[in-house]
Amino acid sequence: MDRWYGVGVVEVLPVSTYVTIVVFIVGLIYVWVKWSGKPLHLRWELYPVPHEPGRTHYGGSYMEEVDWSKRKLSKSLTEELKEMLKEMLFLKRVYTYNRPLWYITFLFHGGIYMILLWFASLLVYSVLTVYVSETVASIIMLDRLNQFFGYVGIFATTIGVIGLLIRRVADNSMREYSGKVDYFNLIFILVVLLTGFIALSVDPYFSLARMYMVMIVSFQMTQLPELHPLTILHIILLQLLWIYIPYSKMSHFLGKWFTYHKILWDDEPNIRGSRIEYRVKEIIRGYKIPWSGPHMKKDKSWLENASEVE
Amino acid sequence: MEVKAVSRVKVSDIGKNVEQLVRLDLKDLMPLPPPYDKPGMEPEMTQPKDEWRLKYATDLDGYIGIDIPWKPQNKEEEELLTQRFLEGLKKLLSEEGNWTFLQPLLLSLEYCAKCQTCSEACPIYVSSGRKEIYRPTYRSEILRRIWKKYLTKTGKLFSDEVELNAKTILRLGELAYRCTLCRRCTQTCPLGLDNGLITHEIRKLFSSELGIAPKPLHELGAKQHLKIGSSTGMTPEGFKDIVKFIEEDIKEKYGKNIKIPIDEKSADILLIHNAGEYLSWPENPAAFAIIFEEAGISWTLSSELVGYDAVNYGVWYDDVMLARIALKHIEAARKLDVKKIVIGECGHAHKALTVVADRVLFDEYNIPRESCLPLLWDIVEKNKLNLDPSRNNFPVTLHDPCNIVRLMGIVKPQRNILSKICPQFREMNPSGVYNYCCGGGSGFAIMQSMNFPEWRSKIASRMKFKQILEAFRDTVENPEVPKYVCAPCSNCKGALRDTFEHYQATSRYNIQYGGLADLIVNAMVDLKTPYLEFLK
Repeated sequence: MDRWYGVGVVEVLPVSTYVTIVVFIVGLIYVWVKWSGKPLHLRWELYPVPHEPGRTHYGGSYMEEVDWSKRKLSKSLTEELKEMLKEMLFLKRVYTYNRPLWYITFLFHGGIYMILLWFASLLVYSVLTVYVSETVASIIMLDRLNQFFGYVGIFATTIGVIGLLIRRVADNSMREYSGKVDYFNLIFILVVLLTGFIALSVDPYFSLARMYMVMIVSFQMTQLPELHPLTILHIILLQLLWIYIPYSKMSHFLGKWFTYHKILWDDEPNIRGSRIEYRVKEIIRGYKIPWSGPHMKKDKSWLENASEVE
Repeated sequence: MEVKAVSRVKVSDIGKNVEQLVRLDLKDLMPLPPPYDKPGMEPEMTQPKDEWRLKYATDLDGYIGIDIPWKPQNKEEEELLTQRFLEGLKKLLSEEGNWTFLQPLLLSLEYCAKCQTCSEACPIYVSSGRKEIYRPTYRSEILRRIWKKYLTKTGKLFSDEVELNAKTILRLGELAYRCTLCRRCTQTCPLGLDNGLITHEIRKLFSSELGIAPKPLHELGAKQHLKIGSSTGMTPEGFKDIVKFIEEDIKEKYGKNIKIPIDEKSADILLIHNAGEYLSWPENPAAFAIIFEEAGISWTLSSELVGYDAVNYGVWYDDVMLARIALKHIEAARKLDVKKIVIGECGHAHKALTVVADRVLFDEYNIPRESCLPLLWDIVEKNKLNLDPSRNNFPVTLHDPCNIVRLMGIVKPQRNILSKICPQFREMNPSGVYNYCCGGGSGFAIMQSMNFPEWRSKIASRMKFKQILEAFRDTVENPEVPKYVCAPCSNCKGALRDTFEHYQATSRYNIQYGGLADLIVNAMVDLKTPYLEFLK
């Protein structure tokens, strides 16, 4: 890579890696705050709600009992976690309701999980190497594991993403609804993966990758290994992808937490004196109605609108 | 008149300048099982009258859900409609305008992967022969594209094809009334997104900003409910007269001298029925009176304005109307100083007052609200009634009202009762929380204007009718055997009544429908004659 305004691209890489990590984390926090900062919504749960003890298997709720409001309601966190993991790891709903898509999307998502494990093993290896000893890292075979995750991950994700692209183009119902951004996201990921293959071809045992990570975790930016220009291109694209993820639809892993936990599984009743009741009071006294419909009292509070009927 | 329609509809066709986007044909619809698999078993589909086209939005599929004349008559009116729609959309996406559902709405708009996993879960889409306009994602995608294109900074650059014009708005308005809000699609969404909610939100935009909603829901429904006391137009005096009539009827037919309590102070329970029951199925409130009397329950009805009609049509189209009605229900309970409200066999009233309105109530307005179904099971389970199941020895199947089952998780009590008192009880497939809507959900059951009932019976209720025929497949063609669809919900009963009439299912095959309380009373040993009319 050529020099740019006197600074080599290679020299910027470690700095941009740190910047990427920071921007990514800030982005995730931004998304989290954006969604969790939305006002309390009306209840809109959908059964089965998996934390109903003893009722999850048929979709029952505490409202099946007489005088439920007099009882202390319990929730089963285990059941909820079980359902969450089935969805996260195995994409349960796609498996149940859209099997042809599942084969492809499972390969894609499974591949991503493997790549994340690749990153994680790389990180642990490097931390151990820098702060404990390289021998310990070798003893627990982290380098081997790292290779396994890396190869399975990149192949599975690439096949998956190509499959998803083909399906999006070939399937009428998906093509008609897909927008520019849907294609851009998949193509972006594919390009990163293809440059990843090139990087892999010059570093088949991930030794450069390990050296790079060692440099990052040790904060020794001068110890940058010598990298092939295409490897540098891959790292730059990968960094751009990480920066882009929180601000794109790819942050659905966070969005999903809200759709399930905060909406579809949110069956928490509004009990007298509870935090929910406090928030309800605040909202319906505070918000003013902006609507112009003839039955609305525009600019009056929600409470005034609800309680004053002509 | 021959109407040209688009042969393969795309999302971007929504604003296309054609008279009618889609023309439905009987031969395209999902086939029905025997004995409805033969030609001539159901009426053909019709086209709207020419005069309707001038005033109403027949531009979508020729059917009219919004029965108020809202079609713009000139360019200026078209532009005004477009502007006002965009204003409404801004409010829909703001905290002040829509705190009630902002988070779920934005999540559903932002994250859809267009995987279409939800489509096959939708009974309307499948029943229609998979017409594109009824796909759960179709109307959502239109709203999403309008939002991105016209209301976001990057919209012009990255948005996808959609044209915002009067045709788009007219069709989107009608499309909001081609979904029963059953939310089966949401159960299948891998990301937990809710196309049913988006439908609800489009309805809200039209109602809250433009004042546009079907008359039976708004003008004759929620507004009349608040003003006169009931969406049926029944006044408090009229209500008291009907209750008197029911008392006399119980005495005359079954020899039981029951005083139905009205406005009894400090009773344990305020029971609120859907007022439609008193007019169309008085045997259901009568059955409750018989059961409660026999079981020694402390209860009362209310003759307070709104307090005798459990419906809350606001839940389908307008959050402010929902809150207004819910507060009136609570006021009725407070006046009588009851311990709790129990809602009769009405699905949407269950959900509206118990669940959705839960977060608009506080302090002394936050009083317990419960379903009647656990209470009925409690009475049956504890043998407070002397019941003989052999009196219900005919095929019975259970329809699960979406609002009570999928949206509230009340699944078992009604099943426990039927298993105990109906020897020939059989489930539909699928059932419970995965049930299919009756086709009357979200207000469709009471929308009877122009050609809408035809669309409802042929498309919206088609899957339910198929399920019913399959549940009774062993005896369906034998009119000697009465077959009973137990539907513990007024609106579901209304939809079933119209569906059975459309397909002549009762007159041809003796397929009946009714409530759960009715079946319980029919099994009571001390009744000299059967309680269910068709057994007499």
